[in-house]
Amino acid sequence: MANKHKFHWVAHLCLLSASVTFVAPFLWMVSTSLKSEARIFPKAGGPPQWIPTADRLDTQGRRIVKVLEGPFAGKQGVELSAHEGERHEILVEGKTIALWPEEFEVEQRLGFQWKNYVAALQKMDFINNLRNTLFICVFCVVGTVISSGLVAYSFARIPWKGRNVVFLCVLATMMIPYQVTLIPLFAVYRSLGWVGTFKPLIIPSFFGVPFYIFLLRQFFMGIPEDMSAAARIDGCSEFGIFLRIIAPLAKPAFATTGLFTFLFEWGDFLNPLIYLQDDRQYTLAIALQQFQSHHESAWGPLMAMSTLITLPIIVLFFLTQRTFIQGITMTGLKG
Amino acid sequence: MDTELNSSLSLKRYVGFSILSLLGALFVAWLWPREAKTPEERQALAEGRVIITYWARHTGHEYEARKSLIDEFNRSQNRIYVRTVVIGSRIEKLLTAIAGAAPPDICSMGTSVLAQLALQGCFTPLEDRMKECPYLEEKDFFPHAWKMVCFDGHVWGIITTIDTTCLLWNKNAFRKAGLDPEKPPKTIAELEEYAAKLTIRSAAGIEQYGFVPWQPWDQTFLWGVMFGGKWWDENTGLLTCGSDPAIIRSLAWQQSFSIDPRSNSNPPYAVDPARTSQGRLGGAYQSANNPFYTGKVAMITEGEWQCTFIPKYAPDLDWGVAPVPQPEEVPPICNSQDGVADAIPSGSRHADEAWEFLKWFYSPRPDGRPSPASDYCMLIHNIPPRKEEALQERFIGDPKFGVFVRQLLERPAASFPTIPAAQFLSDIMDEQREQLLYRVVTPEQAAQTIEQATNAETRAAWKLAGRINP
Amino acid sequence: MTRMERRNLVNGLLFASPYILGFLLFMLYPLAMSFYYSFCQYNVIAKPIWIGWDNYHELFRDSDFTTALYNTLYFTVFSVPLSLAFSIGLALLLNQKVNGMSIYRTIFFLPTIVPVVASAVLWLWVLTPDGGLLNGLLLQFFGIRGPGWIADPAWSKPSLILMNLWTVGTAVVIFLAGLAEVPKELYEVADIDGAGPWGKFRNVTLPLITPTILFNLVMGLIAAFQYFTQVYVMTNGTGSPAKSTLLYALYLYKTSFNYLKMGYASAMAWLLFLVIFAATVLVMVSSKRWVHYHGE
Repeated sequence: MANKHKFHWVAHLCLLSASVTFVAPFLWMVSTSLKSEARIFPKAGGPPQWIPTADRLDTQGRRIVKVLEGPFAGKQGVELSAHEGERHEILVEGKTIALWPEEFEVEQRLGFQWKNYVAALQKMDFINNLRNTLFICVFCVVGTVISSGLVAYSFARIPWKGRNVVFLCVLATMMIPYQVTLIPLFAVYRSLGWVGTFKPLIIPSFFGVPFYIFLLRQFFMGIPEDMSAAARIDGCSEFGIFLRIIAPLAKPAFATTGLFTFLFEWGDFLNPLIYLQDDRQYTLAIALQQFQSHHESAWGPLMAMSTLITLPIIVLFFLTQRTFIQGITMTGLKG
Repeated sequence: MDTELNSSLSLKRYVGFSILSLLGALFVAWLWPREAKTPEERQALAEGRVIITYWARHTGHEYEARKSLIDEFNRSQNRIYVRTVVIGSRIEKLLTAIAGAAPPDICSMGTSVLAQLALQGCFTPLEDRMKECPYLEEKDFFPHAWKMVCFDGHVWGIITTIDTTCLLWNKNAFRKAGLDPEKPPKTIAELEEYAAKLTIRSAAGIEQYGFVPWQPWDQTFLWGVMFGGKWWDENTGLLTCGSDPAIIRSLAWQQSFSIDPRSNSNPPYAVDPARTSQGRLGGAYQSANNPFYTGKVAMITEGEWQCTFIPKYAPDLDWGVAPVPQPEEVPPICNSQDGVADAIPSGSRHADEAWEFLKWFYSPRPDGRPSPASDYCMLIHNIPPRKEEALQERFIGDPKFGVFVRQLLERPAASFPTIPAAQFLSDIMDEQREQLLYRVVTPEQAAQTIEQATNAETRAAWKLAGRINP
Repeated sequence: MTRMERRNLVNGLLFASPYILGFLLFMLYPLAMSFYYSFCQYNVIAKPIWIGWDNYHELFRDSDFTTALYNTLYFTVFSVPLSLAFSIGLALLLNQKVNGMSIYRTIFFLPTIVPVVASAVLWLWVLTPDGGLLNGLLLQFFGIRGPGWIADPAWSKPSLILMNLWTVGTAVVIFLAGLAEVPKELYEVADIDGAGPWGKFRNVTLPLITPTILFNLVMGLIAAFQYFTQVYVMTNGTGSPAKSTLLYALYLYKTSFNYLKMGYASAMAWLLFLVIFAATVLVMVSSKRWVHYHGE
């Protein structure tokens, strides 16, 4: 028991230290989303700021500063004037002195800039983008889970002639880079009259997605054969076996498939950009580029938007991870 | 008892399932795509207006500025309605649409891809239409800006915005180094001298870079121009840089900023190319994380857009703007590498209406106010390509932005070659410059390689289009 | 063919029919066209012109092609096994019964869901040669002046491999799902036999997750050979410095969409296909020796 306890501590320690590096980009993103523009990038040689701050002001709205150089070094004062290219006038202990910006520092207090979120939400048609994204996600999840499950069942559980060759073909279609098939594929969708609609983004997922076919196949193959054999003797059809025996047992794999499909469609940028032809059809991932213009990225709103886009996924993951990780145990299946 | 429990359980399950599916159905109904048309668009359709599509390359606030002006057009008359769609910089969208015969009626794009696409017949020539418009004649534009949209004897687009490069310097860094903060370097010799004084080294590496010619990105084209070199021959559309002594001098000069590991007399401003590759100083990503903001580099060559971004992202930075230093003997020149232009794809079904809109956009408003195009430049802080408009107080009046504009008014400017291999050229310049910094090639070899490879590429593009280049 | 075989064939085709139909509808034409383009001079807009094997011949004279192939092989050879080992390790850690595990799992998944624009900026700053986070730490704790990382041609590929380790979230989740399928009884049996943690891992866990290892290995290979988005964003599509991050997919992208040499790019794509296909077949064939399906 004591041994187990010690093991837990070791595990915690490992996990905690590794977590720091894994959580950093997210924290940085959230922290940037709460900063004013002038604080997003670290000052010369200085460390980046993880906790957003704002200038400390006195009751008259003047900045409180700390003198760094000269006879008043270390003293506190208030800034009277600040003109670009001139020395700033600082009031210290009743005297007015003139200093260059690098000769003093402005005192800081905790300060969150929620305005980035306001700007992000105002700038984009958030609800509309969200609706479009969810529309694609929901149908792709349904389509992918059902179709990939069926196809995977064929490859995993039915010993038909030529299945290995066909399975290799499924894998092979993933090995051709999208760049060279994009234009003929566009021609296919155009001839179907689908360009400018959500169809090219959704309908293909109802025909099986290679990645998930392979994933589900691997899991189906792990389910003992005797279970389906028993059902087959009872006169169950293949579809019945798939629905009643395999599908419930492979719930974790199905949940993983659903989640990954959702995540992929949620973040997909290129396909919606190519096939949608109207701003009002655009998804969240495309809307994100609203904050990156030709020469500039509006970092504050960009990160605010990124945070808003990431948060639902985090919640979704947090809530569903039990389903596919605790999953099933084969208890009772044995023997 | 047992069965009763079971049936009540199954009833509960049944009710729960029904409620869930009802909610699900409602959710999907809410998600179901609605009519994509806005009320304005529906009204325009009801009025029998011609609806044309405009694809914008600019995103973000730049797109919003464009959209607000297009809205103005839509309100101004009742024959045409312009629908805007933001596309961004990924070229796949435009290419698939053109190749798939589903192009927009107007598209905006960077001038660097114009010649390449025009050669394939992607666009409608505009010169005949432009002749009829009193504000879109060749003489109205900066000569180099006009050339940016000319290729193969035709005009393929209307240039919307142009850019230009200046030297920016950090005045605090100048003060610390004992230099006069109001006196930027004017000649290449001064630039070297200042760079040496402004380079601060410590045990941890370089604390402050004085000047790095290949920051914030590859500036090979710029330096060739500044040294008085000629990259290409406009008549043949072929590069001539391989034998241009000024270009070779500019390359050798860039090389002198990179430490030669085999030499022990490196100049004091020389830096390690493996720590300063373009865009990697201070983790630069686009221009907003510019090493110049953070004080990592004291002098940098940058575009006019910094006039808006520095006050926003580095309000405490004390900085100045001046023309880029040149060798003493070279007559003053400036570079204006790229622009953004509007073009009408040849597959457009409403070319006349598209032109109607463009004419409105680029002409002064009937009430005498300046053209929407110049308002657009103002809104996004870019330089208008027509001299008259650049002279407007709102452009030239700003103490910093004015320096950028004035150099275009006072000096001749060089723009990037309008050749079908323009993108290839910019890549190979970058590549050869890196080879040069690592001393894999000599300046002469680099200039030769750039010329030969690009010309081969240009000839191949013409051949593929079934033509022979003039 | 026996009745059983015929029934299996019918059922098998029936279950696989969504994919077969989808393939015929959406994939056959684009794939066939790109294969045809690979024998053509084709610039996306004009009609393709048949030139036979010229594109393929040209590939072997193209030094950029060789560079891109080398970079990609380098990346794949190091990145795939490293990521695999790292994700198994993480999955085992995350499979422990420790309080707050859901939070840990979410944290380790975070890098895969943060938009690339956000994570790329952070990485660029972490890996900045002078003043970056990593070199700052190296200097502070070890007194070493770190390398130029992504700015240095010699270090840029290791930097990419390092960055890729950080997005193993997907593989970890799949491993976790695989671990969930390992019957608890087997551990109890191992306990009775007096096996230590290593023995349990070696003799129980590892054999039972081989189907998931096979999956992650094959997918890792396919993804590594086509690694694109992160490099495209981080290098602005250039493959700098000194072409050291010009990966195959990036060069393919430039060739097809920047230089409009779609025929040539198609030849590149089909050659890459051959390489990936050969690697995959090799793995699949060898898998008969090392993958154990519990169901068999």
